[in-house]
Amino acid sequence: MIQTIYLRDVLPEVFADDTRAPRPSDVWLQSGLRLERGRRYLVEAESGTGKSSLCSFIYGNRHDYRGQILFDTTDTRTLDTTAWCGLRCRALALLPQEMRLFAELTVAENIALKNGLTDFRSEQEIRRMLEELEVDHKYCQRAGLLSIGQQQRVALVRALCQPFDFLLLDEPVSHLDERNNRAAAAMVQREADAQGAAIVATSVGNHLALTDYTTLHL
Amino acid sequence: MKSYTNTLVRRLMRHNVSTPQIAGYALASLVGLAIVLAAMQFYRDASGLFAGGDSGILRHDYLVLSKQVAIGSGATAFTADEIADLESQPWAEAAGAFTASRFKASLGVDFAGRGMSTETFFESIPDEFFDSLPSDWSFDPSEGEMADVPIVVSRDYLALYNFGFAATRGLPTLREGEIGMIPLRLYLRGSDGSTLRMRAHIAGFSSRINTIAVPQQFMDWANARLAPGSAAAGPSRLVVKTNTPGDPAIAAYMRRHSLDIAGDKIDNGTAAYFLRVATGAVAAIGAIISALAFFVLMLSIFLLLQKNRDKLHQLMLLGYSPSQAARPYVMLIAAVNTAVLIAAIIAVAAAQLLWKPMLEAVGAPTASLWPTVCAGVALMAAVSAINIACVRRIINKDF
Repeated sequence: MIQTIYLRDVLPEVFADDTRAPRPSDVWLQSGLRLERGRRYLVEAESGTGKSSLCSFIYGNRHDYRGQILFDTTDTRTLDTTAWCGLRCRALALLPQEMRLFAELTVAENIALKNGLTDFRSEQEIRRMLEELEVDHKYCQRAGLLSIGQQQRVALVRALCQPFDFLLLDEPVSHLDERNNRAAAAMVQREADAQGAAIVATSVGNHLALTDYTTLHL
Repeated sequence: MKSYTNTLVRRLMRHNVSTPQIAGYALASLVGLAIVLAAMQFYRDASGLFAGGDSGILRHDYLVLSKQVAIGSGATAFTADEIADLESQPWAEAAGAFTASRFKASLGVDFAGRGMSTETFFESIPDEFFDSLPSDWSFDPSEGEMADVPIVVSRDYLALYNFGFAATRGLPTLREGEIGMIPLRLYLRGSDGSTLRMRAHIAGFSSRINTIAVPQQFMDWANARLAPGSAAAGPSRLVVKTNTPGDPAIAAYMRRHSLDIAGDKIDNGTAAYFLRVATGAVAAIGAIISALAFFVLMLSIFLLLQKNRDKLHQLMLLGYSPSQAARPYVMLIAAVNTAVLIAAIIAVAAAQLLWKPMLEAVGAPTASLWPTVCAGVALMAAVSAINIACVRRIINKDF
């Protein structure tokens, strides 16, 4: 279980060579930024300031940064492939900005691909969650045929099909209307609270309708 | 649930599998492997003709050597140094010396009341150089002159007697089995005038040793009794066991040292050598085809991995380990290679059926298929292991 994620002087490599004066940021180059389990964070950013990079650094699929990211006392650079696979099934959940659903598989199969790995939810639970986000009727349809907004909701349900300490949501509602945004936020907060987990949501404009959260400017 | 996700992963990863590419690999690999295994099997089958000198039709692995004789030339005996040099050659496994008798001998027979005798000589060689030893091939010195001495004669001598001598003299022809029953009188005369009268019989025939042979123990005993003072000269003939029959190095050595080989054994040996070279060349061609097929497979798998790279990455983002993601490819490689192996073994078995009657016609029983099957399994296991290791490495690198 990860209690705290520390970011120590973290800066994407691409920004390190930038000759312009550094913009003030609550995240980059902070000497001791702590993200704690049980809390909610909204990372507000303009596009191109590295919010997807931040999610990738924490999720371990990119390492092109300076500084240190620690899970409690463990430097994430010391984790091997097996450790990362384990964390991605038990401690870290990610909704990528591009959703990354498999277009040739159905909604049901896309979710089963994750849930089969974790055995975390029953099919009834999954269908109830899809129903809550009003995409239940697409259950047997190929993901590639769904609209972007529908894909976003399916990908969100998939991300919730695992136990987690930190839920990383990269622009989770960029293609959702106000009503769907509220439904998604309600579900995310409920599930995170049930596990005592933290939510880290990024946004370039359309914020996930979280309540009681800390804003971090990137 | 687990098998369902495995099915899903397999469906995803096999999406870009090109059937013609895989079929092309399978075919090329099958041809290569079948050639390699068939060459191996043929070599093992055909070498029945050459190996084990006693049973094969080309007895090549024992050579009887002597120095070339020229008129007026002196010593034809081998010195200890020359024997040692011969034994140190890579193709020579062992060398045995012919021991000559240092006494005069005559053999007599009583034939329906008529007595007949002839001057003769004897030689002996160590027992292990005989092609077939008679069961009573021994001499006990404690029995002394009471012993019945077994004699082995070159099979050629019997033919000379039957077809050359007996016919013109009105004597009966003899068969190998009968001749041993004829009691012979042996009369030995030493240089000092001492004599020995003993019984003897023909105990067997040899195709390898072109002489009249007696047991080594008898020769040593008789030489000591009848020529006590004279020192043994070096042997003038040697029998050499070779482990690489037909090796051109043997003929070259003989030329260099002016040695003669009894019979045409060196030519027969060349046939064995040619078999080895020919099957080696065929196996090499098969190996090259196999290697090319191996690269075709690696190439098509690299292409496949390249095409499915995003999907692999997505799976690993979901928490799949590289080995889980690689599983469909591992299964694919294992399945294709197993099919190729089975087909190649069937092909070799079929080919063996084709050449079996031909080899059996010249007296070579075909060898078992199992060593070839084992070699095929080992080869394919190694190829698959390398394939799979490469796939794992590439996927790991993408993590």
